[in-house]
Amino acid sequence: MNSFHFAWRSLFRQPVRAALAIAGVAAIGALLFDMLLLSQGMLISFRDLLDDGGFDIRILATPSTPISGPRMADAAATAAAVEALPEVDAVVPMRIGQARIVGPDSVNLSLIGAVTSRRDAWTVVEGVDLDDLIGNDDPPMVINRNIAEELTLAPGGTVTIRSECTERYSVLPTVDFVVSGIAEFPFDPVTQMTAAVAMPDFDRACGSVMDEADVFLVATRAGEYPEMAVAAIQRLRPDLHAYSNDQLVDRFQQVGFSYFRQISTVLATITLFFAFLLISVLLTVSVNQRFAEIAALRALGFSRRRIAGDLLWESILMVGTGGLLALPLGLVLAIWLDRILKAMPGIPSDLHFFVLYPAAVILHVALLAAAGALAAAYPVFLASKLPMASTLRNEVVG
Amino acid sequence: MSAAVIEATGLTKTFPMPAGPVTALRNVSFSVSPDEYVAVSGPSGCGKSTLLHLLGSVDTATSGTLLFDGRDISTLPDAERSRIRLTQIGFVFQRFYLLPMLTAWENVELPQGEAGVSKPERRARTAELLDYVGLSQRAQHRPSQLSGGEMQRVAIARALANSPRLLLADEPTGELDQSTGEQIAELLDRVHADGNAIVVVTHDPAIAARAKRQLKMRDGEIVAGAPA
Ligand SMILES: Nc1ncnc2c1ncn2[C@@H]1O[C@H](COP(=O)(O)OP(=O)(O)OP(=O)(O)O)[C@@H](O)[C@H]1O
Ligand SMILES: [Mg+2]
Repeated sequence: MNSFHFAWRSLFRQPVRAALAIAGVAAIGALLFDMLLLSQGMLISFRDLLDDGGFDIRILATPSTPISGPRMADAAATAAAVEALPEVDAVVPMRIGQARIVGPDSVNLSLIGAVTSRRDAWTVVEGVDLDDLIGNDDPPMVINRNIAEELTLAPGGTVTIRSECTERYSVLPTVDFVVSGIAEFPFDPVTQMTAAVAMPDFDRACGSVMDEADVFLVATRAGEYPEMAVAAIQRLRPDLHAYSNDQLVDRFQQVGFSYFRQISTVLATITLFFAFLLISVLLTVSVNQRFAEIAALRALGFSRRRIAGDLLWESILMVGTGGLLALPLGLVLAIWLDRILKAMPGIPSDLHFFVLYPAAVILHVALLAAAGALAAAYPVFLASKLPMASTLRNEVVG
Repeated sequence: MSAAVIEATGLTKTFPMPAGPVTALRNVSFSVSPDEYVAVSGPSGCGKSTLLHLLGSVDTATSGTLLFDGRDISTLPDAERSRIRLTQIGFVFQRFYLLPMLTAWENVELPQGEAGVSKPERRARTAELLDYVGLSQRAQHRPSQLSGGEMQRVAIARALANSPRLLLADEPTGELDQSTGEQIAELLDRVHADGNAIVVVTHDPAIAARAKRQLKMRDGEIVAGAPA
């Protein structure tokens, strides 16, 4: 009977103790796992959102976020110049404004104006994209699911828009659009109303051709590095600010995300400490109960190493089984917590706080294994230092 | 007479205690030859268990030498002394100390596994030993399902598992009633008859009387039966 098998039998000679230990580790492990998922979740999810649509560089007028910053002038010429760079495949100038759908149920929405191209910053899920609508007098518009549901609109339906282009105070005339399709916009919060139209139509709704952009979405040419493209853009237009997705994620990590990082690190450390305490208390108590038995085994010729191995395996079994159960438990808990956090207003519905990534599972296993080994250290020390003769004697005398 | 299995010379054991050191053994010398059956008796506290523990190398003497098969075992590292206990010495305790979560079979097999005996050999030896102690029918029973006498028989089978040269028993009948104690004594007789050296510590004169050689101890000294 090897140490593993022996430990198994030792552990389950007290099934209730074993079950409690495993349940305890599973609960603590689930929390640990969630903290690991939280420690990277938003970064990974943010990265996915940025990558969505295949754009890997964003050009802004200032180092701040698109909507609050000033706009970039000469959008068409700038886009053409950037697209001419050998590192660049495609450039999509984009405007983001506010508008109102007029009618019996008026709805406020974010209106995106984009130069249509082979790539779009949204994904059509029903109907067709802007360019693919033919045989209509009114200009096309894609709307998100929220608008479609709010106004019971389907592709082919029409809407009347009054644009609220920021710095104009006069009321603009309305413009009619026909819904070409329903689309998903990656950064939409859960209740957000969003629609997109072609840039000339956006200008028309705004009452004048402005040739401006809040942001340029840039796709690097296949085989080129985004960082090289960013450098080329900065050389071409030092007055603009180009960021690769990596750089945006880095910025996010340094600014908004560092709180999550710190909180999850502190909580993960505390949960690990609890796991350590639980296992070491349980093992120490069980070693104390088994002193005579261990002394007898030593007297029968079992080496210190063997006894230590038995205890280590017992710890590994408790932590291993508990840690394994912690994974599904943690996932369910993460989904639940994610839902709670995403109910906060303004959070893109595709941004997740808890994201499963392979390294989290590996880290979870490694951290728990370390806690289990450390927890076994004291009981192993106790058992291996056990004086055989006096322990055997005390058992008979006492 | 062949060379001694174990040879003690001038063994002294002192326990440091808060109220001053307690000397449990004083300058004890004696030896056990490979086919000997030795009983050690004497009043409580005279040092019988202490002597047995030294002989079995579960404790070390304060002074004196102890040769096992001609080797001074007190100087060996712990791992080697464990190995000697495992393969050369069998221990039988007053309280049996069978592992409660293992069956009788597994308890007997355990030290063989630790000694690295192959599985088929282990199986054969375990079956043989359980048969020897008359418990073939109880092989799959846990200690909690066995009587005291049966547990002690399993413990003796376990002590014999790796065919030791020396069997040490401390009050092996101390927890048993008289007739069960006699069965155990008969079993020990048989073990001796089959060629094992035995040292048994006992309070029971009937058991001591079965041994060919009887040591009497008092106050940490052997007062009768030591070699001339
Ligand atoms: N670990 C120890 N610490 C302190 N004193 C001890 C220890 N072991 C034994 N002694 C002392 O050594 C003496 C001999 O003890 P030992 O257990 O060998 O006696 P014994 O002959 O086996 O007695 P009994 O018949 O009651 O089992 C006693 O005075 C005892 O108190
Ligand atoms: Mg004693």
